[in-house]
Amino acid sequence: MRIVALMHFVRRLAALAAWQKVFLGLFVVIILLTFFGPQIGPYDPIKADPSNRLAPPTLTHPLGADDNGMDILSRILASPQVDVTIAVLATLISVVIGTPLGLVIAKLERRNSRFARGAADSCMRLLEVLQAFPVFVFAMVLVAIAGGSILNIIAAVAFVNVPIFVRLARSEASSLLGMPFVEAARAIGNNELQINFRHLLPNIIPTITVQISVTIGFAVLLTAGLSFVGAGVKPPTPELGSMIAQGSKYILLGQWWVVVYPAFTLGIIVFTFAVVGDILRDLLRPVTSDRNDIEAALANERTTQQLLSSSYQNSSVSPLLEIRGLSVAPERAHDRRILTGIDFKIHPGERVAIIGESGSGKTMLARSILRILPPGLHITDGKCLFCGRDIAELSDDELRKLRSKKLAAVLPNAKSQLYPLTTVMQSFVAVMQAHERLPYSEARKRCVELLRMVGINDPEERLRAYPHELSGGMAQRICLAIALMYRPRLLICDEPTQGLDVTIQRQVLDTMVAMTHETGSALLIITGDLGIAAHYADRVLVMQNGRFVEENTCADFFAAPQVTYSRLLLQAVKN
Amino acid sequence: MSRFLTIFYRLAYLAVQVIAITFITFVMVRMIPGDPARLSLGPLVSDEAVEAVRDEMRLNEPIISQYLYWAQNALKGDLGQSWVNNSSVTDEMIARIPVTLELIMLAMTVVVLVLVPLAILSAQEGKGLLQRIFRRIAFGYGMLAGALPDFVLGLLLILLFYTHLDWLPGPEGRLSFLDTEPPVVTGFILIDTLLAGDFKAFRSAITHLVMPVFVLAFVYGAPVFKMMRSQMETSLSAEYTTYGRVVGLKPLKVSLRAARAAAAPTIVIAGVIVTFLLGGAVLVESVFNFAGLGQFAVQSIVSADYASIQAFVSFAAVMTVLVYALVDFLHWALDPRVRN
Repeated sequence: MRIVALMHFVRRLAALAAWQKVFLGLFVVIILLTFFGPQIGPYDPIKADPSNRLAPPTLTHPLGADDNGMDILSRILASPQVDVTIAVLATLISVVIGTPLGLVIAKLERRNSRFARGAADSCMRLLEVLQAFPVFVFAMVLVAIAGGSILNIIAAVAFVNVPIFVRLARSEASSLLGMPFVEAARAIGNNELQINFRHLLPNIIPTITVQISVTIGFAVLLTAGLSFVGAGVKPPTPELGSMIAQGSKYILLGQWWVVVYPAFTLGIIVFTFAVVGDILRDLLRPVTSDRNDIEAALANERTTQQLLSSSYQNSSVSPLLEIRGLSVAPERAHDRRILTGIDFKIHPGERVAIIGESGSGKTMLARSILRILPPGLHITDGKCLFCGRDIAELSDDELRKLRSKKLAAVLPNAKSQLYPLTTVMQSFVAVMQAHERLPYSEARKRCVELLRMVGINDPEERLRAYPHELSGGMAQRICLAIALMYRPRLLICDEPTQGLDVTIQRQVLDTMVAMTHETGSALLIITGDLGIAAHYADRVLVMQNGRFVEENTCADFFAAPQVTYSRLLLQAVKN
Repeated sequence: MSRFLTIFYRLAYLAVQVIAITFITFVMVRMIPGDPARLSLGPLVSDEAVEAVRDEMRLNEPIISQYLYWAQNALKGDLGQSWVNNSSVTDEMIARIPVTLELIMLAMTVVVLVLVPLAILSAQEGKGLLQRIFRRIAFGYGMLAGALPDFVLGLLLILLFYTHLDWLPGPEGRLSFLDTEPPVVTGFILIDTLLAGDFKAFRSAITHLVMPVFVLAFVYGAPVFKMMRSQMETSLSAEYTTYGRVVGLKPLKVSLRAARAAAAPTIVIAGVIVTFLLGGAVLVESVFNFAGLGQFAVQSIVSADYASIQAFVSFAAVMTVLVYALVDFLHWALDPRVRN
């Protein structure tokens, strides 16, 4: 397992973008400078040389000299040993203190004892109060209390960063503690200590590692900032913040090199740690199989079953919806088709069901007709003609005006379809305002009527509710009411009863069919439930792996299915 | 009714926070080495005289009663005396708070008016030229904002726009030496110059504010920008957005709904940023020589000026908890799901 993980790590490392590799390289350089920087420079980084005061960059002093005549290049090379060391030590101290504290708080919060939960709660409250102090000012005061020695600066920087790790460890641990594997570990007899060390810690480490990198960058910045205002490392120690402060006097006189090079170095160091944090996040992300692999596996499974000629043909009247040879595929992989050569028609007032197992492409067919295919998928061949016009060729505005008025839809999971931040009433009004101008009182009256129509007894109250306050069945009825608002010619219902319990399913479907009967809308039901198809549709289309394998009248389909796949579907229901 | 109760509890919690924070500050400040009485009298005065002042300053009493005495005075508007220049800390704070608040408010305005729209635009799907340009800008900004510490960016801007190009005034505070200070009414320089009818000083004040406000907005707006952008991407791909299209809402309405949904979590981050700006102002004010709270804090810490440090740190921390409370209320107003 470890070798596999390592291989994944190496593969991801190789797959990084060129600029990311540059920053990994810089990261290594910074670490090396932290160890050997002071020895590399051409001059002693703290040796004053008055004859070179403010010497501009030349060959002898490639980055110039500062107001003490010290060589800036040597000082910059030496500076990570101060800045990065302070930041790394401070961050490690914060981690060592903060992480276990966060774990303990997370565990206390899950105890049954009131005392334990109270203790955890007051810890978090105290943390909140500590975090109310602006970090920079807090660190400054701490340094003022303790004095400006390097050890005290480290302690101050460490102290202000502790809350970050406490919070992170706590939130990570409490989400992990709710996971089944922790329960399982406990059930097979691991004690709490083993759970902490074997099961929690390894899962928290990736997140913590990323945060460590980000925090080191921040700590470098904090150290430099403290030194910049004179509350940190004092000159002549080669430290970037104090070097910048020293040079800022000369910037107005045009002696820019004293400031610009240290400033640039500080920027690079801070940025490198931030980028390395991002890279680590990518590298340490848990291994999951790629979406492409799944798609490829699906494509291999696909059988090339012969499409049987349909026995049902409705002739004379012109169809409301006509799909001709529709194929849908990912934009980057035209050969991996999601839908292949779909042909069918729906006539005015007709009720058609498309059935098939999940993943067979039913939803994608509905989404193609509604022109809401997910990004990355597109129609490669064929047409969707609605009222004689190709939906793909309508302008955005033409299509928008058709929607709700002529072409409406009910999508699965009604609760997440409704806009969560406004009331049900406002959801209705938004649709009305998109299609007509009407006074509020009129809109309200109509909403009440619509809700009564779909069998809601207390419409006034429901209109005031927010989506999260509704039950699934109620939300579904409301979506149905919105869909039927303008008596559309065609209503597409994708899994209209997903997530509803059986009695509610019946009520919603009965209402839906009764309503479409009354409004004269044609109905396209997409469902995995054969019972629904049997009960409510005139005609059944069976879909398998993105193709139609059977088209039949409802009665004939259930009496004598024509292909093996249909028989298997029916058999699955009977069992 | 329960909504009022929630608000009441939140406000009660706020009061507890304020007390806890000022007390912790008080203890911290007392831990700074040095004897305030000795410091204020100088090394030449006799020990007896110092002791008398210690009594007067109540330094010999337990810390709790010292704190209560301070809190009592603070409530009356007396924050004590600075021993460094023997002035009233309250007066000093009143003069300096508007300077810093003006910077913070202008910076937040820039964030809201420039960065948030940029985040919304760059999160839109599509392959148009404009969209690609916005995405490039967003990517570049995300990279740069992480790389440039505030004081470094400030110094580089001064170098470029003052020393080299001479387009903007240098780090000389809110006005140049030649401008006449307007009479102090609100303390906000843009308002005061306008009230005084001095348009030359008003223009000068604007040019002096450009760089510090830009630095604060650029550096501290980055988290707001990133949050808004990622939230916007999330809400644009949410089911209710697709559904909004399916029912035929106008594209603008669809975008506005997505933006509103993205705004709720972004406001939480923006609140945190406002409090960060208080700390950030310390550095930026030093760089641009603004006589605001930041400089005040640096000076008082460097010279161990107890009353001033106490006043500033308390102010900053109280501001922070106030902003957090405000954020909670805004969040409640925007998102019905967190109301209960």
